[in-house]
Order: sequence, then structure tokens, then C-alpha cells
Amino acid sequence: MKRLLLSVATLALLVAACGAPAPGVTTSAGPSAGGASAAPVRGGTLVFAIWQEPSTLAPNYGNQTVTSVVNEVTVEGLLTTDTNGNYQPVLAKSVPTVSNGGVKLSADGKRMDVTYQLQPDIKWSDGEPFTSADVKFTWETWMKDPKVITREGYDQIDSVDTPDPLTVVLHYKSVYGPYPTRFGSIIPKHTLEKVADISSSDYGRRPLGTGPFKVTDFKAGDSITVERNPNYRNKGQPYLDKIIFRSVPSREVAVAQLKAGEVQGMWNLLEAQTPDLEKDANIKLAISPSPSVERIEINTAENKEGTDPNSTHPVLGDINVRRALIYATPKQQIIDKLLFGKARVGSSPVSQGWASPKGLTQEAYDPKKATELLDQGGWVKGGDGIRTKNGVRASITITTTTGDAIRERVEQILVDEYKQIGVELKISNIPSSVLLSASWSAGDPRKHGVFDMVMYASSPGIDPHQTVSLRYHSKKIPYPGNNGDGQNYTRFKNPDADKAIDEAGSTLDFEKRAAAYARALKLLNDAAVIIWMYERSGIDAFRANVFGYSPNVWDNITGNTEDWYIKGAAQSY
Amino acid sequence: MNRYILRRLVQALPLLLGISIASFALMKAIPGGPLAAYEAAPDFSDADLRRLEHTLGLDQPLPIQYLNWLGKFVAGDWGYSFVSHQPVLVLIGERLPNTIYLMGTVFITVLVLSIPIGVFTAVKQYSWFDHIVTGSTYAFLSTPTFWLGLLLIIFFGLQLRWLPLGGMTTPGASPDLVDRLRHLILPVATIAIVQLGSHVRYLRSSMLETIHQDYMRTARSKGLGERIIVMRHALKNASIPLVTVIALDIPELFAGAIVTEQIYGWPGMGRLFFDAATRLDYPILMGILAVTSTLIVASNLFADVVYGYLDPRIRYS
Repeated sequence: MKRLLLSVATLALLVAACGAPAPGVTTSAGPSAGGASAAPVRGGTLVFAIWQEPSTLAPNYGNQTVTSVVNEVTVEGLLTTDTNGNYQPVLAKSVPTVSNGGVKLSADGKRMDVTYQLQPDIKWSDGEPFTSADVKFTWETWMKDPKVITREGYDQIDSVDTPDPLTVVLHYKSVYGPYPTRFGSIIPKHTLEKVADISSSDYGRRPLGTGPFKVTDFKAGDSITVERNPNYRNKGQPYLDKIIFRSVPSREVAVAQLKAGEVQGMWNLLEAQTPDLEKDANIKLAISPSPSVERIEINTAENKEGTDPNSTHPVLGDINVRRALIYATPKQQIIDKLLFGKARVGSSPVSQGWASPKGLTQEAYDPKKATELLDQGGWVKGGDGIRTKNGVRASITITTTTGDAIRERVEQILVDEYKQIGVELKISNIPSSVLLSASWSAGDPRKHGVFDMVMYASSPGIDPHQTVSLRYHSKKIPYPGNNGDGQNYTRFKNPDADKAIDEAGSTLDFEKRAAAYARALKLLNDAAVIIWMYERSGIDAFRANVFGYSPNVWDNITGNTEDWYIKGAAQSY
Repeated sequence: MNRYILRRLVQALPLLLGISIASFALMKAIPGGPLAAYEAAPDFSDADLRRLEHTLGLDQPLPIQYLNWLGKFVAGDWGYSFVSHQPVLVLIGERLPNTIYLMGTVFITVLVLSIPIGVFTAVKQYSWFDHIVTGSTYAFLSTPTFWLGLLLIIFFGLQLRWLPLGGMTTPGASPDLVDRLRHLILPVATIAIVQLGSHVRYLRSSMLETIHQDYMRTARSKGLGERIIVMRHALKNASIPLVTVIALDIPELFAGAIVTEQIYGWPGMGRLFFDAATRLDYPILMGILAVTSTLIVASNLFADVVYGYLDPRIRYS
């Protein structure tokens, strides 16, 4: 019996050695052996794991991040944003601004025209020329199609002129500051103009674009294959022949496949998964800060259905309590212990880019200060260690999305920390589809005002105007009277902040706008209505023989696939 | 007989209607909605939300939404996904072959293995083989698939690296038979092991019951060979309960295995249902539920009809 076991084990080892892709195959198979770095290898297929499946690749219907992870290898826009938060031209020749004459204000200063000069000689992957008519068609589609996800900004345009094939003039009916963020995806007129309903056409699975790759296969639930676009404008690029986006059921499976070498890259890891991968010499992480900020929003109004924005929360209506909670939140400890240092202490909702307020901070962990504040505020400790004031017990509830392991552990830490300063914290989590629905009719408790504290993450775009105005302007407090419009969930009201936000939205001067946002966000922090927990990271991972990728704060890792190449294990099909 | 089948079919209609109303109501009772996922976009405004609700008909009263769905469904228009906007029939059509391929293999594997094992354990009751089978089938039966599936992946996929970790084929390679089989082994084993447990135990207990019947003694006293006695007299009578169990496997050929397909990243119906459920994509969910419930009703009827063939004592009235 022993001998049998032994031979089975030997057999197992043998089979494993033959069948498995040998780990560490980076032996000198590539032409640039010896580690010469700047010699991209042409050819090969890269399999890239995505743990969500894009239900559509059409930029007008897909808002999942994973949709753009895949479609941006083929769909391009007029401009993009580099990792430093600067706009860069893609299909346009340059970024139109007031100073270079690309943006002209009307005489009364209430409207503006934006003129884009397009790059010459750009072709769609089917060989047809890309022209200003495509840009106009894109605007028309966004305004006409009822299933388009968002019309933000496009609805500020009155009309579009195309004086010649390489010039497009957008006539805005207002002064719209975030104009460079629009037209991030251009769709082809020549194939789509005759399609009555683009949503049910095969454009959702075979989007035609100008980017380095073109979609050649879409196997639902399995994989999406993109191949080199022969008409791509950069000669000699892309280096890879093919990228196969393989849809896998979870991040954990993607990590397992990456370790086993079944895939050569994967999208979107959690901070907590990095220590395991950092130990593996065959794997490299691509990490960059992300604009996503985890926060706890505090309800200053009464916790009840359709709450009156002018009411006051019996406990959290007191700024002393709110400031005490901020002091009692050990952000750095949470980052170190739960996120393995792969995040930064938060201080504002706009953590990156030109609009990020410089030097804005929030009170650091100091439980002693928290105790003092509560004492000053007249909150007296009772027999059970929980404070009361005028018969009101300092007992509150925190809510986050169910099933999120990190958030649930953060809650446990907070229960403990807050108890030490005499505040009772209870936990009541609900599914993200409800908590984050942002829909009045779907019963989002944040909109209805039925919460004490709610923990979640949100990320602004490079132009933070939508985020800041929708979340911190007093006109955007949801209540029955406005049918729940707006996302100012803390019910924060400050006329000076309103003024600063309005000012930022009605000027085109980036410096003035940044200063105005900084003023508004400082007032927001002074009111102590949001605990900025931490700034998340964007993390992707590759096998060690993949090169050329470059993480971008404002873009997916697939933003520069034309530069990617794979060494050693390059296969051709 | 024909009248019996006809009557059963007519009875099934209100039943199916009731099931569809119940599934629709339950789905709508889940808080949240198909548009909840759009919140992540910072530039998604409330006006956008209301426009989409109107476009997809989500702003109408629930009974109207249901009747709209039902009317079109009966006419053959199964609607469009709220998320991908693809026709539901197309989405089902591209997943169904993958699920039939997986569940069909499971179905045949379980059938081929469970009958001889079930018969043998009953004939050799209390033998060491019987003890091993009874013990292990009990364990198999109680094994949750999500646990077993992960265990098999960790052992055969990650540790030994004998078999791929998921998917139907190796991406990029032109799939040959060996590649397909290698991808098929673990998901089939995961489902088959659990099903085998229940099927073997059903067959064993009904075989035991049959073996001790008087007509078995009669058959033996006629001098019939043991093989004929077991196969013709015992198995045929003992398989009646098994028919019910097997008939209820048929809807799974369509619905797939939600947990297993999810674990192995199998592009089948189970995963389509799971993804649609997470996004509350009602048209897809309703389409799948309607077909599955129809198949369950139909396969029950099928089982009842087969009873009559297996046991002439059963009369239909």
C-alpha cells in the first residue's frame, strides 16, 4: 500500500511537471535577451482576465467600468486624460482652450463655441475615413437615442457645424466647463446612420473604432477577442497580434489563473490581494492612485422616511458629536491593517487632478480630543458607558453594502473605537443594489434620509463639477418636494459653499475653478459631515514577461494597449 | 390515455400563469432595480434616470408591466435585456447549447453509473461494496456543490495542475476534443457526484423493496436465471421512483447549474441567470423562469405517462 501511494505521488509529480506551464519561463527566448528594456517584441497573444462581463461594448449604453476596459482598445474619443490629470488630444489635433482660440465665449458671456480640429488621415478599422461628420453623428445619437445612459453635457449643445471634414464646431447654449470630458467615444456614421435602433444591432458586440485593435469575436460569458487593426494610425503598432479578454467568475479565480499562467494579465485587484501576489516573482503589479474615495456620510437631518432637510438629527445634528466621530476614526490603522498600506488617508472627495484642493486636511485620529469634544458638548456618560444628553442616548447606526469583507471589518473597528468615547454604534447593512441605487423609486435610503451613517465609495471624473454640484449644493438635497432629486445625502447647507460651486461651474478658467472648489470643500470639511476614510488604489496585475503597460489614474489599464508587448512566451496563431 | 394527457395539459395553463405572476411579483419585491448599477457614473443625472425608467417601461404600474410582458411573451416576443439591449431569445440561444452540452454529459454520466451501482448494492445488500457505496453516497448527497467545486479546482487545478481552472476551452487555441474534455471533467464531476448520491440511494431502496415482493419468489421458483430476475422483474418495477427523479433532471438541461457554472466560468444558462439576477434584468429572468417552469410541468407529466408503461397496474382516469 505504501509503495502504491508512493508511485501515485511520483506519477502525480511527473504529470504536473509535463502538463503545467513551467513557472518562470522568462529564459532567453525573446530577441532582446539580457534585459535590454526598450525593444518591444512584435507578435503574440495576451489573455487578459476580467472578472465581470461587459454586457455591451457600445459606449452609449455601457456604463460598467469593464465595458470601457474592453472597448477602449477599439473605441477612441477626441481627447483623453493623462495620469497627471491633463487633457491630451487623441482624434483631435489639440485641446481647444480659451487661450488658443479653440473656445470662444459669446459677447454676453453666457454661451460658448468650441472648435475641434481633427487629425488628418485617420481611418476606421474598416478603412473608411474618420471625419467631422462622425463627431456630429455622435452628438445626434446621444441626443436622439432614448436608451443612451447619460446626456450630461451633450444636452448643453444647441447645434454642431462641420465646415470641413476636419473641423467641427460645437455651439453650446451655456458656458460648460467640463467640455473636454465630452466626446470621449466617437461612433461611426457610415455604418450606424442607417441602423434604426443601435441598441439591438450588433454594434454592442462589434463596435467599430479607430483604436489599435478591432473586435473579431464575442463569445457571451466566455471571451472577447480583439485583433490588430491594420488601419491603425501608428505605424508598427500595436505590437500584440491579439488580446483575448477572458471573463472569469471572480477576482479570486482571475488571481488563480494568473498564478497558473493561464492568463497573462488581469483587471482590478483589491488592495487586500496584493501581499500574496507581491511574493510571486512571475507576477508584477501595476498600481496607481484612483480617484475613488471611501467615505462615511453622516445624516444631519432626522433619520426618517422623506426627512425634512431642515430638521435636526437628535445625535448627529450636533457638530461636536460629528467632529468627535472623525477624531475617533483610526484611518491610518485601517489602511495599514486591512488594506496593506495600499491606500492613502482621505481628506476630500476630489483626491486627484487639477481640481484637487491642495493642503486640505481632515482631523487625524485622536480619541482624547474626541472625548473632550463630547464633554464640552454636554454629552454625559451613563452607567453603561454610553453618553446621553437631555435624555437622548448617543446611539447610532452605520450602514454599508452587505458582503463586503473589508467594509464589514472596518465597521467592527469603528464599533469598538466609538464605544471607547461613549458612542454606541450599531451595524445594519443592506445590499448594494438598494443602498447605492441612487433612485428615489427604488428606495435608496440615502435619498429618503433613512440612515445615520453610510459608508461607500464614489469617484469623481477628472472634471469634478457633476460630483461636487450634485452632492454638496444645497439645491441638491433629496426630499419628497423635489421628487428626491440630488445626492446631497448629508443635508449639508452652506450659502457660501453654494456660491463657490456655482462660480466654479460658470467659468472656464481652470485656476479660478480649482480655487472655487477648494473653498467649497473646505466649508464642507468645516461642517464635519463626512469622514473621508481613504483614497483607493487602482491595481491590475501582469505576468512578468508582459511589458509596455502604464497605469493611469484617470483611465483603465487598457488605455495604451498599442504599447503592450509580451516577451519569451510569444505565440503566434 | 390521450384524454388524460390533454386534461393535464389544460390544467397546466393556469398553473404556469400563476407561476409567472408569482415570479414577477417576487422579482419586483426585491429592493433595488435594474438601473441601480448606473449610479457609479458621476455624470449620471436624475433626469437620465427618469428618462431610462420611462424608456424601459419601469415607470408604469406593476400589473401593467406584467401584462405587457405576458402579451408579448405569448406572441413570441421575449423582450430585450435592460442592460445589454440584446433580444432575450438571442441571449438564451447562444447559452443554451453550452448548458445542454454540460448538463447532458452529467445526465448520461449519472444514468450510466447510478443504475448498475444502485442495482448491485441492493442485490448484494450488506456486502462491503454496499457499505462503501451507502456511506459515500450519503456523503456525496450532503456535499454542497460550491464547496466541492472549489475543492476540486484547488486540488486538480491549482495544486496538481492537471486540469484547467475554468472556462469551456483554452482561449486562443483552436479547441480540439482533448481540450474540450479537459475543461469538461471538473464541472461534470462536481454536479455528477452530488446527483449520483441521490440517484443511487433512490434506486437501491426501491430495488430492496421490490426484491422482497412475492412475484420475485414466483419468478425464482419458475427457475428463471438470476440475471433475468433482477433485470426484467426487479429493475423495471424498481425504476418507477427513479423515473420521477430523472424526469426532474430534464429542466436542468435547460436551466443549467447556477452554482457550478458560476464557479467554473461556464458560459451557460445558469450563469446567464445569475448575472441577470444580480442586475435585476427582468426580461431575461422572466424568459428563463417561464421556460424552466414549463419544462418542470411537462417532465412531471412525462414521468406520469412513463409510469403507465412501466407498471400496467397504474390506470389513468
